[in-house]
Amino acid sequence: MPGRIDGQDIAIWRGASGQVHAWGDRCPHRGMRLSHGFVRGETLACIYHGWQYDADGGCDHIPAHPNLVPPKTICATTYSCAESDDVIWVALRPTDEKCPSLAGLRGVRSLTIDAAAEQVASHFGQAVNAILRLGTADNITLALQPMDADHCTAHALSDARADRTDVSRWLEHQRRVIEGQPA
Amino acid sequence: MILYDYVLSASCYKVRLMAALLGVRLEVKAVNFHPARDHKSAEMLRLNPQGTLPVLVDGDLVLTQSANMLRHLARQNAPQWLGEASGQIDPWLDFAGELNASLGMARLHDVLGFDADIVQVRRDGIRQLRKMEAHLAEQRFAGMGFLAGVAPTIADIACFPNTALAPDGGVSLDPYPSIRLWMRAIRSVPGFVEMPGIHRLHELAPAPERSR
Ligand SMILES: N[C@@H](CCC(=O)N[C@@H](CS)C(=O)NCC(=O)O)C(=O)O
Ligand code: FES
Repeated sequence: MPGRIDGQDIAIWRGASGQVHAWGDRCPHRGMRLSHGFVRGETLACIYHGWQYDADGGCDHIPAHPNLVPPKTICATTYSCAESDDVIWVALRPTDEKCPSLAGLRGVRSLTIDAAAEQVASHFGQAVNAILRLGTADNITLALQPMDADHCTAHALSDARADRTDVSRWLEHQRRVIEGQPA
Repeated sequence: MILYDYVLSASCYKVRLMAALLGVRLEVKAVNFHPARDHKSAEMLRLNPQGTLPVLVDGDLVLTQSANMLRHLARQNAPQWLGEASGQIDPWLDFAGELNASLGMARLHDVLGFDADIVQVRRDGIRQLRKMEAHLAEQRFAGMGFLAGVAPTIADIACFPNTALAPDGGVSLDPYPSIRLWMRAIRSVPGFVEMPGIHRLHELAPAPERSR
């Protein structure tokens, strides 16, 4: 699936084993978006000419030249990526940081908002941070993904017992307010 | 049954897709919509004075609205595709018409050079996609993967083509994870067929042998 972090386009995919990967969203061949590709086992295949990349990003098969062992230099850009408490975290630069704990919460849905992450944080009276705990009765918590100067994605979680439909509708309402749209 | 068809039309594809999923064979007559504008020819206007495609002819019955064609195909062949209550289906058939006027028109503007208020039709399309995204998220919370239940209906087939083709009209589907899951579910239904711009799920087919 596609994602955008600080202006970088990312392809996030899950191998058959469950392992998640985050790569630059450009095929080294002709630049097709890898997020349009498809997964077989532990490889990601580009939708355009079918070049296949294994879990470490190296190209290991070119269908148009089936007998060629692709040179080691053909490589997708890889980022470190981890999954924890219903959230997939991606680091554009190497880091020792642990994923924030969101234990006890359950993922609700991800909403893209036409506003910068800073604006979303300040709407909820907080400084911009990877995690916003909104202090609602349902413990609604946003993992905030800055996309670019005008967009972010809020990955919303809440208490496992919360009614997710109500949480979802409350978030839709907050988004309308943040974006300045008529209700 | 004869379908007067244009291969790049989202509305024609609805009917081809529905027929394929039901295992119904259509006699497809290709009409040169672009550039020849043969849908406005005297012969086609006699069949459908509105001059639109698709047109479905079944004996003496001539249908000119794709929503009615889906109803007709389902009623005759597999009524479960009509859903449990028309009250859950009909609003989505109307919604599919709105998608055709917004995302569909944006695509005709970008791909075939149609005249349109491109900013407005894209804005309308995005508002509708957000509505569908929220609905599909709520459906998922209730254990349902389709617009009107756990199984696909004509509502899904009506809304699918213009949604899936939105990027051709300059509207990204990146912000809508629930819509993308739903599109995968539709493309997983046995008998699914492609159209230019909408491909099948390659991962469902066995990997070709590697000769190396
Ligand atoms: N009401 C029609 C709309 C289909 C439609 O928009 N058809 C387009 C081609 S994709 C068309 O024929 N446009 C020509 C016109 O409106 O003059 C349906 O859903 O069946
Ligand atoms: S662009 Fe990816 S295989 Fe050609």
